[in-house]
Amino acid sequence: MNQRVSREVKKGFAFGLRQSLTIAIGYAPVAVTFGILATQFGLTFWEAGLMSFLVYAGAAQFIAIAMLHQGATVGMVGLTTLILNSRHLLMSMSVVPNFPNRTLPWSLGLAQGLTDETFVLNTRVLKDVDGESNRRRVMLGINLGAFVSWFVFTILGGVIGKWLPVQFSGFQFALLALFIILTISSLSKKNLMTYLLAALLAIVFKLLIPGKVYLLLSVTLAAGIGAWWRRRELPLQNEQQKGQMPKL
Amino acid sequence: MSVRLLETILLMTLVTYGSRVLPFLLFKGKNVQGFARDFIELVPIALLAALVIPDLMIQGDTIAIIHNPFLWAGVLTFLFARLVPNLFLGIIFGMSVFWGLDKFLK
Repeated sequence: MNQRVSREVKKGFAFGLRQSLTIAIGYAPVAVTFGILATQFGLTFWEAGLMSFLVYAGAAQFIAIAMLHQGATVGMVGLTTLILNSRHLLMSMSVVPNFPNRTLPWSLGLAQGLTDETFVLNTRVLKDVDGESNRRRVMLGINLGAFVSWFVFTILGGVIGKWLPVQFSGFQFALLALFIILTISSLSKKNLMTYLLAALLAIVFKLLIPGKVYLLLSVTLAAGIGAWWRRRELPLQNEQQKGQMPKL
Repeated sequence: MSVRLLETILLMTLVTYGSRVLPFLLFKGKNVQGFARDFIELVPIALLAALVIPDLMIQGDTIAIIHNPFLWAGVLTFLFARLVPNLFLGIIFGMSVFWGLDKFLK
């Protein structure tokens, strides 16, 4: 195993922690909003904090508190979380090759801090770090900085929400605004058709079927059709790019 | 804390941490390819559509257009987010516009 330390600057935990600062600053207002909303929806600040500590997934947490408030079942929230967070599988798979000799504790630890934002930063930073053990420490630093910010600012938001019980109808729209902003940042030519299809299917299914089943139905159908369409459209490029792609 | 909330948090932790840790435990470094990869890639954007669009357009059990603060606040937030790519400002904008429209349209 290559334990050689980079000759220039040793990149380790502290380096990762410094890199995480941009994410930590970005998380702060979102976590504060989550904390305030959670208390508006009847959670205590430490319940909100516990959720941020254990679940640590922004969008899913916002949806969960809104769904619980509307009386959704535990299973329904769990299923929605699974749909939303299954994307971590992809990010995790893409990070794993950086750590071919990882031990179990490192696997369990590094996986905990993987979010959309830390994934992007880790992908960018780790490719310039020599040695697996250094890469582990850098990723730990990046993950920890972001995580601590999310947790601490959730608590802060919860306390603000508790001591200043604001009556503001705009909070009803916070989650939708968050999703709309996420949409704008992830919408591209490659997924626009899937987006429109999912929107149309979701409207139709919501009008026809009571409950939240419309979410699962429209997402599965739209992503399935979208993926099938992509395979159909680009068989040549895909085979050229990926070498020996398994036959479908 | 209610049992329901605790159960929800634990179930959410299980599925979220599960999808983060499984590749660390199982993969030797190969990526998923083909249909499965495209499918997983498209799920988040499809979910965003399913979460947002019906909530903007459907009030009660019918489609509402004119007296619907959600729809117009949504349209304006879409436009704002395109011009100003900042999470914090976008949320503040969306909430404020909704608050104004909610007063104005009702």
